[in-house]
Formats: sequence, structure tokens, C-alpha cells
Amino acid sequence: MTDATDPLTREWQGPTPRDMLVAKVKGHTGLLIGVGIVGLLTFVAILAPVLAPHDPYAQSLMTRMEPPVFLGGTWEHPLGTDHLGRDYLSRLIYGARVSLLIGAVAALISGLIGTAMGVAAGYFGGKVDMVVTFLINVRLAMPVVLVALAVVAILGGSLTVVICVLGLLLWDRFAVVMRASTLQVSRRDYVAAARSIGASTPRIVLTEIMPNIFNNLIVVITLEMAHAILLEAALSFLGLGVQPPTPSWGLMVSEGKNMMLFEPWLVLIPGAVLFLLVLAINLMGDGLRDVTAPENRS
Amino acid sequence: MKTILKTTALVALSAAPAFADKSDDTLNVAFTKELENVDSYFNSSREGVVLQRAVWDGLIYRDPETNEYVGNLATSWEWVDDTTLEFKLREGVTFHNGEPFNADDVVYTVNYVAKEENGVKTQRNVNWMESAEKIDEYTVRINLKDKFPAAIEFLSGPVSMYPDEYYAEAGPSGMGLKPVGTGPYKVVDVTPGQHFVLEKNEDYHDSPKGEPEITNIDIRTIPDVNTQMAEIFSGSLDFIWQVPADQAEKLATMDQFTVANASTMRVGYLQMDAAGRSGEDNPFTNAKVRAAVNHAINRQELVDALLKGESTVINTACFPSQFGCAQDVTSYEYDPEKARELLAEAGYPDGFETEFYAYRDRQYAEAIVSYLGEVGIETDFKMLQYSALRELNMDGEVPISFQTWGSYSINDASAMVSQYFKHGTLDSARDDQLLEWLDVADSSTDPETRVEYYTKALQRIADEAYWAPMFSYNTNYVFTKEVTYEPTPDEVLRFVDMSWQ
Repeated sequence: MTDATDPLTREWQGPTPRDMLVAKVKGHTGLLIGVGIVGLLTFVAILAPVLAPHDPYAQSLMTRMEPPVFLGGTWEHPLGTDHLGRDYLSRLIYGARVSLLIGAVAALISGLIGTAMGVAAGYFGGKVDMVVTFLINVRLAMPVVLVALAVVAILGGSLTVVICVLGLLLWDRFAVVMRASTLQVSRRDYVAAARSIGASTPRIVLTEIMPNIFNNLIVVITLEMAHAILLEAALSFLGLGVQPPTPSWGLMVSEGKNMMLFEPWLVLIPGAVLFLLVLAINLMGDGLRDVTAPENRS
Repeated sequence: MKTILKTTALVALSAAPAFADKSDDTLNVAFTKELENVDSYFNSSREGVVLQRAVWDGLIYRDPETNEYVGNLATSWEWVDDTTLEFKLREGVTFHNGEPFNADDVVYTVNYVAKEENGVKTQRNVNWMESAEKIDEYTVRINLKDKFPAAIEFLSGPVSMYPDEYYAEAGPSGMGLKPVGTGPYKVVDVTPGQHFVLEKNEDYHDSPKGEPEITNIDIRTIPDVNTQMAEIFSGSLDFIWQVPADQAEKLATMDQFTVANASTMRVGYLQMDAAGRSGEDNPFTNAKVRAAVNHAINRQELVDALLKGESTVINTACFPSQFGCAQDVTSYEYDPEKARELLAEAGYPDGFETEFYAYRDRQYAEAIVSYLGEVGIETDFKMLQYSALRELNMDGEVPISFQTWGSYSINDASAMVSQYFKHGTLDSARDDQLLEWLDVADSSTDPETRVEYYTKALQRIADEAYWAPMFSYNTNYVFTKEVTYEPTPDEVLRFVDMSWQ
């Protein structure tokens, strides 16, 4: 903030903060792997209609459970077919859409709710803080999976319901982290300075506080995204999430479960992809924390 | 005392991971579902029927091969008039607890179960009986509420005889924990819902069921099919049933197992809201839409690829072996082109969207949904528990659903068609003409009249396409090579017919 006006640093000829950030990112293998995989899967999800070799809904009961190519199948169905003869690779590709969509939107909804509550609590303190802390405690006392199961069971499972339920349930970590960060930042001198020149509360929050807690927000978003994806898979596995024939990885695991003893790949393939995506998102979150954390900044 | 000691020893043995089998004369069997109460009048599950046939006897027995009725606890019977049946009872039969079987037991059992407030779970099985009266020690009369020609079938099936003194004292819950009957097997241990141990009844009377051969039957509840298969691999189970077709196919390729397949009376069908209970403008109120649904589904492919075994395509609202179940009715061959045309004629050239409900066999339901999607009927798929779907259906909120009905293994069309088309809460057609015909068929004692009216009713159901009948189910029985068993087409596991190789 003050760097530009300080003659000492202006004359210092070294890498700019941006250069340093880029160098740090390049040196962080975990982050690169995470971003790479997430990027690739996002790309696949967006281009699903182009990339999928078959219609993921096209049923062919006469060619059920054909093995993938590495287990003696044919290139017609590189990853084999499922219990209704639908192409496994195509379903996997379309399933990426469901997983990423649910992960992103649920994280966004809960991010909005949690950040608003956390920042308000941290900035205003007092009664607002008490109320928010109480709400966070109430929320933390509820087991997410159980509540999600109950709500979905009552409302019936569908993509929209799952997204809303997860979005409305996963805001607790946002609220906790944002509250703590805001509390810290709002005591800084530049906030006091902004306040003393008469800046309005929205202006202070948006231009002084938010930019300085944004790195924390990014990290929580990635973590919650992974969390939401896993929860969707769990709900779909239990038959309460995304409903067939929509392809979802959790649903694919559940559909393959009965044949696990004889055709383990039916469970292994979607399981492995799910594992990979969640791992990648977590690596990305970890990496982002490492490269943006203030203690590593200078 | 000796029995108790023996029992304890047995239980201890089977509790250990013993490879109990031919060597110690114990057959280990798995049940998939938990059985809520062993008392057969107070459960409605297939597992309950299996235990009922092993532990108790009825007055009459239907030979599962020939479908002939022969005496079991009764030696003969005759219709005194249209609503009175008289039985001569078998002499010298004793219950497992030593109580002798006589007319008092029949009178007590019938009077108890026929009384609605006693809460027998499946009222249809017993509510046709009014009362029973004792004529002498071994002669008894059962009075019917109304004419009921299927009485003999019911008496050979779900109506079994209980010991009066013991039942009066123990009641349904006592009977559930310590069942006492006259059957080929006696129950020596019950852990409700989990574990049942049966032992051969050495004093079994000369029954058409035959003599039991295997001494001990040890039944455990194992809900997961994969676990069941793992256990039969490891040798801690000898017999599993209701094995899904795909798994059974794989097991059949292995040398150490015998896989037997038999048809069951269960029929799968699509129920459509023809009466418009779920909304006046519901597309299924249009007969052309219902016919389109019938044409849209490749039932033969479903049978060949998914159900396999003894399953067949079904065209009527009943199971073919049932009395009165006519087969010669309008049938709808697979023709998606025609289905689309019919939809267009009905005013849905681009198809429509509907909720689709199912409660079991997700795989079959999904395949059906996919066929419907092909002709333009987009579905919002909803998988519910049986009880939840039944309730929704009773409230008339289900436009179309995949249903199945096993008729309680009663070999008479009334157990299915009359159950669903007589303006009951589950009737989605509400056709007055059908009600009239079925009333005639259900209450007539003349077999020819019955066949005639059932045929008329079934023909009308097919013409109007009130349902889309799909297929009959089958069951796979998988057992080790040490066991010999010939399954019957009624999905009743008969321990008495099993023996060691």
C-alpha cells in the first residue's frame, strides 16, 4: 500500500511483488498439479458435448457391462459400458459437469452467505458478533450429511435441490474464517485512516477490508468446493442426490456397487476420478494458501 | 432339558465362524431383509412366508408342481353351502410344544385372525372368514362372510393353524419370539430380525409337504448381496436366494455352486393415472398416451438383458398361472414410431414431461425411463420407499409409476386384478364397468363364470391400456454343490425339500 510513495522501496531494484508471486507459483509443484487437473477437468466439462464419444443417455441393453479397453474391451467404448449399456467414458465426462457445477455453485452460495455474516461480525462486533457466533455454533452443531439427507428426502432429490441444500449448509467455515480475518484487518491503521477521512462503511468494507482478506476466502472456497463435491457424490450414492438418468459420479459408484465382486472397474473408474478431482482441488487450495499467505509475502 | 442343551451347543457352534455344512448337518441360509415378526399373521414379507411354511401347516396344501389341493391338517373338506366349509381334521398331530391338534385350535385361530381389531397385517388374507365353529373333536366348520371361491387357495397358503392354549397366552409377540406350530421344522432360537435357528421336527405327521431331511437350518439376515456372496465363497453360507441376475450368471460359471432359477408370481407393471387423480389435464387420462407408453417399451429386451432366467413378457394385469388370468388379450408390441404417432395424435407432438415414481429395482426402472425418453416422454425420476410411494399413490398424486405385485403367491387372478381395479385407494383407473365385472367374477362359485368375467375385465384393461404390464420376475437360488434343491415357481423357499447331496 505504502510502497509506491516510499522513496526507499521505489529505488530498490529487485523483483516486484508480482514477479515474486509468479516465481513462488512456479516453484510450488502441488499448486501446479492441482490447477492443472482442475483446469483440465473444467475444460472437459465445458466441452463435454464435443468430447464425449457417445450420447451419455443412449441405452443399449444388449451391450451391457462391456469391459474397458485395458481389460479386453474395444475402442468403441474405451471405458466400457454400464449396467444399461451406456458408454462409461461419456457418462464420466458429463458427470464432471454435475460435480463441478455443484461444487462451484454450492461454494459460491455458501461463500456469499458465510462472507457476509463473517465480515459483518468481525467489523461491527458487539451484538452482531454475538448473533453471528451463535448462528455459527448452531450450524456447527448440526451434522451436515444428516441434515442434507433429511432435507433431500423430504424435498426429493434433484440437481437444484442438492445445490441449494449444500449451498445453505456449508457456510460455516466461511463465516468463521472471514470473521477472524476481518477482526484482524479492521484494527489496522489504514482502516482507521479511512474511517477518519469519513469513508462510509460499505466503502471501507469493500475497498479496505475485502482486498486484504481475499486470499483467505480463496482458500476456503476451494476447500468447500471439494467438500460439496464429495457430499454430492455421497448423496447420489445413497440415491438421494442427482436422479437418474443424469450422470453423476456418486451415482455411477452406487450403480456399480452390486457388481463390485465381479466387475470392480465399474466402481473403481468413477471412484478414481472423484478422488483425483477432490485431491486436485485440495492441492490447489493448499498451494494458494502457501503462495498468498502474508507471512510468506515478503 | 436335553433339547435345551443340544440347542445351546448348536447355537454356540454356529456362532463361531464354523464351516457348518453337511458334516454337522447344518444348512446356513441368508435372508436379505429383516423379518419384523415371525408370527406369520403379523408380517408381510417373503421371508415371513418362508418361515410360515416351515414352522406351521395349513388345513390344505397346494402341490406347487401340479397346483392340486390336498389335505394337510385336514383330511377332507366339502362346501356345505356357498359360504360354509366343513373340514375333517387329521388325528394324532401334535404341536411342537406337545399340545395336541384338534378342532379347538382351528376355531381359536380362525376366530382370532378374522377379527379385524386383532390387526392381522394383511387383512385380505383373512377378512373373508366370518368365524369357525366346532362340530366335534375333529370336525370343524368355517363360515365365510360372503361367497369366496378362492377360499381353498387362501387356506392352503397364508392361513395356518396355531395352538389355541399357547396363542391365547403368548399372543402375536410371544409367538414371534417363540413360535410354536405343527410344521416340519421347529424354531429353537430367535433373535428378532437377525437370526433364526430351526431344527427338524422328528415327530412330523404324514404331511404332503414331505419329511424334513436336513437337521438344522441356521438363518442370518445379511442385507448386502456382496457380503452374502463373500460368505458363500468363504463357506460360512451354504444357500443364498434372490440373487440378482448378473451376479447369478457369474456364480453359475463357478464349479462349486449350483444356480437354480425359478419364476415367481411377481409381476412388474407401469401404473398410469387414467382417472386423472393427479390432475385433470394429466396426459395419462388420454387412452392414446397410455397406449403410446405400452408401445414405447421393449419388454422383450428388458427380459432378455436384465431379468433373464424364467421371466417372461406379461400382457395382462395378473400372473399367467393364476386362475382366470386370460392371456389372449390385446397386446402392444414394441414400436417407438407408433408411440410417437399416438402421442402426436393425442396432442403431444413434442412429448411431455412427467414425474415417474419407483420403489424397487432401480435398474429396471431406469431402463424403462430411458425407453420413455426415446419417444419424447421426459421424466423426473423419483425413487421412494415402498410405504412412501404407496401413501402418495393412495392420495392419487402419482401420474405414472413402476410397480410390482407378488399376489402373496395366491394362485388366483383375484389376488391381483381385483386388488387394483375395484375402486380401492390404489385403483388408478376407477372404471365402473370393471368393478361390475370383477364383482361377478370374485363372488361366483362357478369356475366358468369366473373365467368369463375375469377375461372380460382383463380384455378391457388391455384395450384401455390402464396399465402397461411389463414382465414376470424370477428368483435365483445359489447353493453349494453339497445341497440338492429344486425351487418351485412361487418364490417360497421350502427347507423341507432340501437335502444333502
